[in-house]
Amino acid sequence: MQFNEDLLRKVIEEVMAEVAAPAAAAAPAKTIVTEGTVSKIKWTPLGNAKRGTDPREVVVALPPAFGDQFQKTIIDVPHAEVLRQVFAGIEEEGCNYRVIKVYHTADVAFIAHAGAKLSGSGIGIGILSRGTSVIHQRELAPLANLELFPQCPLLDAEVFRQIGKNAAKYAKGENPVPVPTRNDPMARPRYQGFAALLHNKEASYLDRGKAPVEFTVEIA
Amino acid sequence: MAEKKRSKRFETLEQRPVHKDGFTGEWVDVGLIAMGSPNDPIPSIKIAGGKVVEMDGIKREDFNMNEQFVADYAIDLEMAPKAMAMSEKEIAHKLVDINVPRTECTKIMQGLTPAKIARVMDCLNIAEIILAMQKMRTRQTPGTQAHITSATDNPVMLVADAAEGALRGFTEMETTVAVVRYAPLNALSLLIGAQVGRPGTLTQCALEEAFELQIGMRGLTAYAETISVYGTENVFIDGDDTPWSKAFLASCYASRGLKMRFTSGTGSEVQMGAAEGKSMLYLEVLCIMITKGAGVQGLQNGSISCIGVPGAVPSGLRAIAAENLVTVALDMEVASGNDQTFSHSDLRRTARTMPQFFAGTDYIFSGYSGTPNYDNMFAGSNWDIEDQDDYLALQRDFKVDGGNRPVTEDETVAVRNRAARALQAVYEEFGFPPITDEEVEQATYANGSKDIKPRNVPEDLKAAEKLLKEGITGVDVVKALAKRGYNDIAEKVLMMLKQRVSGDYLQTSAWVTKDGYVWSAVNDPNEYAGPMTGYQLSPERWEEIKNIPWAVRPEDI
Amino acid sequence: MAELNEQLIAEMVRQVLKGMASAPAASGASAPASSGGKVTAKDYPLGTNRKDMIKTPTGKTLDDLTLDAVMKDSATFKDFSITPQALELQAQVAESAGRRQIAMNMRRAAELTAIPDERVLEMYNALRPHRSTFDELIAIADELQNKYNAKTCAAHVREAADVYKRRKLLRGDRPES
Repeated sequence: MQFNEDLLRKVIEEVMAEVAAPAAAAAPAKTIVTEGTVSKIKWTPLGNAKRGTDPREVVVALPPAFGDQFQKTIIDVPHAEVLRQVFAGIEEEGCNYRVIKVYHTADVAFIAHAGAKLSGSGIGIGILSRGTSVIHQRELAPLANLELFPQCPLLDAEVFRQIGKNAAKYAKGENPVPVPTRNDPMARPRYQGFAALLHNKEASYLDRGKAPVEFTVEIA
Repeated sequence: MAEKKRSKRFETLEQRPVHKDGFTGEWVDVGLIAMGSPNDPIPSIKIAGGKVVEMDGIKREDFNMNEQFVADYAIDLEMAPKAMAMSEKEIAHKLVDINVPRTECTKIMQGLTPAKIARVMDCLNIAEIILAMQKMRTRQTPGTQAHITSATDNPVMLVADAAEGALRGFTEMETTVAVVRYAPLNALSLLIGAQVGRPGTLTQCALEEAFELQIGMRGLTAYAETISVYGTENVFIDGDDTPWSKAFLASCYASRGLKMRFTSGTGSEVQMGAAEGKSMLYLEVLCIMITKGAGVQGLQNGSISCIGVPGAVPSGLRAIAAENLVTVALDMEVASGNDQTFSHSDLRRTARTMPQFFAGTDYIFSGYSGTPNYDNMFAGSNWDIEDQDDYLALQRDFKVDGGNRPVTEDETVAVRNRAARALQAVYEEFGFPPITDEEVEQATYANGSKDIKPRNVPEDLKAAEKLLKEGITGVDVVKALAKRGYNDIAEKVLMMLKQRVSGDYLQTSAWVTKDGYVWSAVNDPNEYAGPMTGYQLSPERWEEIKNIPWAVRPEDI
Repeated sequence: MAELNEQLIAEMVRQVLKGMASAPAASGASAPASSGGKVTAKDYPLGTNRKDMIKTPTGKTLDDLTLDAVMKDSATFKDFSITPQALELQAQVAESAGRRQIAMNMRRAAELTAIPDERVLEMYNALRPHRSTFDELIAIADELQNKYNAKTCAAHVREAADVYKRRKLLRGDRPES
C-alpha cells in the first residue's frame, strides 16, 4: 500500500494546487507528446469526430486525461501499452481503429457509446484512465453493453488485447466468446477509495460543452 | 543510509488484514466526507401559494432538477412549518424515544427538508441509530435477501443455488450477469430454483433499467431493485435518468404488476466525480426523498456498490446506518446493504453488519451472497455462503432473527438436485442447449462454478436470444414444467404470476409466503414501543434458530 | 358492510364491461373511487380478503387461474396482468395507510396499463436525459392524454419537458446528443 499512499498524496496535492490556481485557458490544439514510463504517445487532433463509414472499424473512445495528465492505469499498466494492446487486438482480426476523446462525460458507458455511435461498424471501446473498459454497440442503450470490465484493478495488458480482438470480432458480425470475466471480491476494499480520487481527477478535465475530437495516435 | 529500526509490535500490526483496506482522509472540496460537510446547505423552507419557493437556502428558480422534484413531491407542506420549527436535537430525541409512536415520527420526518434531515442524523450516535431503526423499521417482521450469481453464468449452478438460497430463508433473491446477454437465462434459473427451495420467494435480475423492465413484463422476474437514483444532477444524468424518467419507470413497473424499489447509496456521487463538495449523507437524503416523491415503496441503500468510499473515510459506517434509518423514517421499505465486499478484515466486516442485524430491517442484506464470493457478480458481498454457519451462530448467540435458518446437508442436496432436474426438462422443452446428467450431478454437489464443467457459451447465448425473440413468458415456463411432470413447481411459478393480478405485493415492504399470502407494512406494521413489544421471536422460530446441526446435544452424551 | 360490498361489485362489473366496450381507452382507472365506496388497509391483502374485487383484464377471477386452465389455454399470459381497477384499489389501500405518493404512483400506473409494452418502454426512454426535444415530449404528453386518457401521466411528462428545458436536458443541449 506504500505506493498507493504516495500516489494518492500526489493526486491530492495536484488537485489542490489546481483548485488554488485555476488553469489558464487551454492552449490551442496542437500535437502533444506525452511521456509514459516506457514509451511516448503522440496525439494529433484531427478536429471534431465524424461518423465513420468503414464497416470494419472499431472506435476507441477515451476521456480527456487518458495518456495525458494520466499515464497509467490503477495497476500501473502504461496507457501507451493499453493502446498498443487494444490496437494490436483489433488489427489481428483484420479490422481498423480510430481514436476519439470524449469531453462531456467521464462515465465509461457513455464514452464507449459515443464511440460506438461514431463507428462505421457500430462497435466502440471505452477505456477510462484507471482502466475500466466497455465494449459497446450503437443500437444498445447507453448503460447496456456487449462486454463490461468494471474491475479496473484486474485488467492487465493481456485483457486489453482480448478486448481489442473481441471488439473487432463484433465489428465483423461474429459472436465471440466473451473475454473471461475476472472477479476479485477484495478489489473494492483495497482500491475503491483510491478509484474515487482518480475519478474526481478524471472528471476535473472534462469540458461538458465540447464535442468529441478525433486523434491520430503514435506510440513511440 | 541506515534503515530505521522497526518496532516488532508495529510490524505485526501492519501485517493484519485491516492494513490492506484503503483508508483516506476527508477531502471536503470534492465531497469526500461522510456527514456534515461545510458545503452542505443550511436548513430552511419558505412556502407560498401552495409551493415551496425556497428550500435549504436555494430559491425555487435556482433549483436543480433533484431539488425541484423533492420540493414538489417529497415534503408534506402542511407538516413542514411545524416540523422545520423543531430543533434537530428534539427530532432526534423523538426518533429514539419509545414513548413517541412511530407514526408521529414519520409525520414529522415528512415535513423536513434534505439539509434538516441530514442534520438530525448528525445528532445520533450509532447506538441511538440502532434503537431508532428498531422502532422506525417499516414492516414489523425483519427479513433478508440473497445474491445468486455465477462467474460463468452457469444456468445449472444458478438454479441449484437459487433453490438452496430459498431453502435457507432468503425471502428475495437477486441475480445479475457476468456476460450481459446471459440475462434472460439467469432470470429463468432463479425463477424456477426459488420456487423449488421455498415457494413464494421473489426473484429479480439486475440489469440496465429498460431491459430489467422488459424481462419483468415477460413474467421472468417478480420484482426489480437496481433502479438507481443520484443526489446531484450531473451524476443522475451520467446514470442516464432524471427524477421524472425514474418516476415514470416506477409507474411502468406498477402498471405491469411488478414490485420494485429504487437503489441509491452514500458515496456514489463522489465516486462518479460530481459531488459538488456536499457530504455523502446530505446527497443520499436527496436520493431517499426522490424515491419518496416518486411514490416508490422502498429503497435499497447503505452505500451499496460504493461502500469502499464511505468505508474509507471517518464516520462512514455511521453515515451508512443513518441512511438506512432515514429511509424507514420516511415510511419506506429498506433493503439495507451489507451486500458488497468492504473490508479484508473479518472484524471490520462483521461490525459493519451488526447495526442492521441487531435492529432488524426489512431486508438486513440487500444481497447476502448465496454463492462463494468468487462467483458473486456484484463484485462480492460482505458475507458469502461460506460465512453462513457464522451467521447462524450469531443469530443463536444473540437471539436475533437474521432471516436465515439452519438446513441439513440432505435436504439441501435434495432441493439442488430437483431444481437442476427441473431446469434440464425446461431447457429440453424450449429446445435450448441440453443440460447433461453430469452437469445436474455436479451442480447438486458443487460449492461454486469451479466445481462444474464449463458450458458452450455462444450456444447458450443463442438460446438467450431465442428466449427473447420468441417471446417466451412465465406462462410458457409453467407449461414446460407441467408437461414434464413437475406440476408442483409449475403451480408455484403460477402462484407467483398470480401476484401480478392482485398487486398486493406492490404495497410497502411486501413478501410472499409459501401459500401465496402477502405480508407487508400494511398488515404487519411495525408497532415497536419498547421492551416486549414489536417483533418477538415465536417459540417455533426460536427453536429453529437454536438448533444448529453441529451443536452438541446434552441428551446424546 | 355487506351492502357496501355489493354496491362496489356492481360498480366494478359495470366498469369492467364499460372498459371492454371502449377499449383501448383506459376508462375505468378511477372507477371504485368515484363510486364512493373505498377499500382500506383493513381489506388487505385484497387477493385474499377481497377476491371478489380482483379480476384479470379478461374478467376472470384469481380462482380461474389454475394450472389446468393454463394447460388448456383458457388462461393465457394476458390474464396475468393487473387491471386499472385493481391498481386503484391498491392506491386506496396505500392512501388509507398514509402513503399518498404511493397512491399517486399506482394511479399513474393504472393509466399506463392501456399502453402496449413496447410503447411504454419507448416513452420511458424518451424521458431519459438528452433523448427528446421539447416538442417531442409535448407530443408524448398529448398522446398520453388523447389516445390513452392518461391525464396524470400527461401532466407528468409536460412538467418534465419544462424542467428539461430549464435545466438543459433536452436533445441538442449537449454536444453529442
